Amino acid sequence: MRRIAAITVRKRLTAVFLLIAVYFIIMVCRLAYVQLISADEIIEKAEELWSRDIPLYAERGKILDRNGEVLVDNQLAPSLAVVPRQIDNPESVAEKLTDIIPISKEDALDHLTKVAAVEIIHPEGRKLSEEQAEQIRMLNEPGIYLAQDSKRSYPHGEQLAHVLGFTGIDNQGLMGLELSYDDELSGEQGALSFFSDAKGRRLSQLSNRYKPPEDGNHLSLTIDAEIQSIVERELDIAEAKYNPDGALAIVMDPDNGKVLAMASRPNFHPAEYQSVSPEIYNRNLPVFSTYEPGSTFKIITLASALEEKLVDLDQDTYYDDGDIKVGGATLHCWSSGGHGSQTYLEVAENSCNPGFVSLGQMLGEERLFTYIEEFGFGEKTGIDLQGESKGIMFQEEQIGPVELATTSFGQGVSVTPIQQITAVSAAINGGYLYEPQIVNGLVDPVTGEKIKDVEPVMKERVISQETSEEVRRALESVVAKGTGRGAYVDGYRVGGKTGTAQKVGPDGRYLENNHIVSFMGFAPADDPEYVVYVAIDNPKETVQFGGVVTAPIVGTIIGDTLRAKDVPKREGGLEKEYQWTDVPMVEVPDLIGESKNNLRHYLNNLSLDVQGDGDTVISQSPKRGEKVESGSTIRVYLGDSD
Amino acid sequence: MNKKREFDHTNKLRMDYVLLTAVLILLLIGVLMVYSASSVWSDYKFGDEFFYLKRQMLFAIAGLIGIWVMVKIPYFKWVNWAVVIYIACFVLLIALFIPGVGIVRGGAKSWIGVGAFSIQPSEFMKLGLILLFAKLLPQNQHKLPNFLQGFMPMLLLILLPFGLIMLQPDLGTGVVFVLSGMLLLFIAGAKISHFIGLASLGLVGLAGLIISAPYRISRIQAFLNPWEDPLGDGFQIIQSLYAIGPGGLMGLGFGNSMQKYFYLPEPQTDFIFSVMAEELGLIGGTFILFLFFIVVWRGFLIAVHAQDLSASLMAFGITSLIMIQVMINISVVIGLIPVTGITLPLLSYGGSSLTLTLLSLGILLNISRYATIK
Repeated sequence: MRRIAAITVRKRLTAVFLLIAVYFIIMVCRLAYVQLISADEIIEKAEELWSRDIPLYAERGKILDRNGEVLVDNQLAPSLAVVPRQIDNPESVAEKLTDIIPISKEDALDHLTKVAAVEIIHPEGRKLSEEQAEQIRMLNEPGIYLAQDSKRSYPHGEQLAHVLGFTGIDNQGLMGLELSYDDELSGEQGALSFFSDAKGRRLSQLSNRYKPPEDGNHLSLTIDAEIQSIVERELDIAEAKYNPDGALAIVMDPDNGKVLAMASRPNFHPAEYQSVSPEIYNRNLPVFSTYEPGSTFKIITLASALEEKLVDLDQDTYYDDGDIKVGGATLHCWSSGGHGSQTYLEVAENSCNPGFVSLGQMLGEERLFTYIEEFGFGEKTGIDLQGESKGIMFQEEQIGPVELATTSFGQGVSVTPIQQITAVSAAINGGYLYEPQIVNGLVDPVTGEKIKDVEPVMKERVISQETSEEVRRALESVVAKGTGRGAYVDGYRVGGKTGTAQKVGPDGRYLENNHIVSFMGFAPADDPEYVVYVAIDNPKETVQFGGVVTAPIVGTIIGDTLRAKDVPKREGGLEKEYQWTDVPMVEVPDLIGESKNNLRHYLNNLSLDVQGDGDTVISQSPKRGEKVESGSTIRVYLGDSD
Repeated sequence: MNKKREFDHTNKLRMDYVLLTAVLILLLIGVLMVYSASSVWSDYKFGDEFFYLKRQMLFAIAGLIGIWVMVKIPYFKWVNWAVVIYIACFVLLIALFIPGVGIVRGGAKSWIGVGAFSIQPSEFMKLGLILLFAKLLPQNQHKLPNFLQGFMPMLLLILLPFGLIMLQPDLGTGVVFVLSGMLLLFIAGAKISHFIGLASLGLVGLAGLIISAPYRISRIQAFLNPWEDPLGDGFQIIQSLYAIGPGGLMGLGFGNSMQKYFYLPEPQTDFIFSVMAEELGLIGGTFILFLFFIVVWRGFLIAVHAQDLSASLMAFGITSLIMIQVMINISVVIGLIPVTGITLPLLSYGGSSLTLTLLSLGILLNISRYATIK
């Protein structure tokens, strides 16, 4: 019995021992699994637990012009980061900080004692100057760190502000290209990590780890900084001279729709956007504003009629007696008394409204409006900028004879500047309508190589090469001999068209003496490289006429641009005054006593140099009755009528 | 009967030196690791990074003296006093519930005494039960297969103290207590069918225990998916794995634990093995397990070759106490079972438990002197 019992005990001991042995093996296996197989996964999580990150901001990509010139740069501006647990004496540190950054001791103390792993002193400690950063470094306090950071700087000041937009305190894009290309520009934030204990105190015996930030890509624009400067300068001059309600300019390469310059007034400085009202920085007028284009729109009517071979510019004539009756309404030509008998080339030169109505009537509503649509009106152009408008076209059912007629010379429809310049580019480049383009691509910040190339997008072939050539000839003639003479640049073949559009007031009626004057010019006329559109909203102290205000501005922009870009001078272009052997002499009219706003009616075959302030002409030179060559400049002095 | 009390006097130092060596190495490693694991806490709490080390060394020395004394005391003397010891421990367990006597530590009323001289009656109860069984089971072995006359009375000797321990409440010690008692019954020859019946009953009881104390549910949930609530109940398991994982094969090196920097709760006690695995790697961790296995193996050998059944049961009982605690503690730490709150014998910081473990090992060594291990 005892013996059997002893055997049972021994058996059971052995059995238990074997089970225990097996379990020890299981424990070793589990240990090996945790330490060898799942170790990487655990280490990753554990290091996350141990490490405290000081953020290293990536350098935001620069914005470059087409030639690599920096339009928006970065400037070092470190931010103050603190690790509250590592600060020995928050009171005294807070005291010291108040001397360096604009922060109250209480606020500083709040940051320094916050229950947080890493605390950025925001906003007072953001974007520190070199001196502030140096002072903080000199403090040499534990727990105080300078996080690498930068802020935007603008080598060209206010130039291109509306297009570029601006960034916020975290270098995040808030407006313009800075916003729409925020992802590409931002890059990837890096970090300086140090290990800390569970109470957040730094473990100094362990080395820090550095994860470098990945800088954002540079954004390369189609903009040409040189041309942009010319345009900005001219708008500044115009702003000073005319004190307008607004102004805008676009320069485009007609062969691919790339925008070379774009400016808007009123302007702002991107670094100080908060000092202007949102209406100013929100409205990039070249794409935002919509208004009646006025006569610049006649280019579209002309191109459509020529494409349909409805007229021959030199053979067909139109007789303008000053007005035209359409569907019971009488539409007046801007020139009192009319332009008499003209070829259609002269109709264009004179910007004769009844002449263009006749073209519109020849086309008929369906064809005219189809062309308008094909030229891209009524739809957003698709340019890579925010806040683009569509404009307003007549609805099909609204179109009657009057609407057809007014549309022919640019009234009653509402378009954007970018639509116009894009359409005109198509009209003069051989008929190809491009999507206007502002971004050329992305550039790698390290290698400087292009990593994304934006190709021009050709949307539609609107007119033929021959028609385009005729349009160019007509528009060159407008500048050489017609209403666009102010844009003439000696030695270059400039084509163009004036525009003077009435503004519609809040009550839906046209405003008195309040026009948007514009000019659409291009050069060289034989092979256009630049299209320039300038519009000035309600210029003061001048005749509100495109030929007077904006044509010279466009002329200057074109002239300066062509010279700056070494475009060879052309021969065989139309000379300003000597196209015909018999230069028509005109009699100088009596302008004294004429009101300022009526002066534009005389601009048919004369140029005016308006000087002085006032509403009424008090003196003129040459005097009335003198014979001068058509197109001569008459200097008039304005004064008060009494 | 006299024959049993004789041993080979020609070799006064005859005993299981393999066991002794393994224990001494474990003790040495334990003292060093208590220092490494506790230094940060110690410095933070007492401004003295050696605070825990000094105390642990004192207890270790006391324990070594204890071993030496125990090796000299013939084991059967304990058996003679077993009933008295058991009753004394039982009374102490009851005394815990007298208002003002029991000291609450860590949410359980497990301690009795004053300051540094306080003890855990449940620790002594474990030994008391082993001694009592070593006395009673050999006498009643033939009745053991009989459920009512043999098994039931023994079972009550386990369950009564167990109930008191669970009322403290101290689940960890209770589990160790029950398991070692049951194993003793099993070794002594109780019927397997009784255990099966008891196990099914135990499952029901376990379910009841879990339902009665909601914190146990969350501990089990935390074990099943510690990442779900990493700041709550999964916290300890996750922190332990964060220590063990990065240890890798070779470890971070002695003193280089990251997790002891306040991430692990009390790294010198329940989670000391995490710090060991972190600093000494898989190699070190496996070596520790190997040493414990040596202890267990020698314990079994002594039990098998002990000169009588009483000695066998005592040897096995002492071995099983150490073995069960090692397996539970390490299983918790490496994420095999839910957190139970059991220290690692010989290694964890903790005075009375270390001393008591060494004392019981002294008894085991004494038994080995009478055993015939080839």
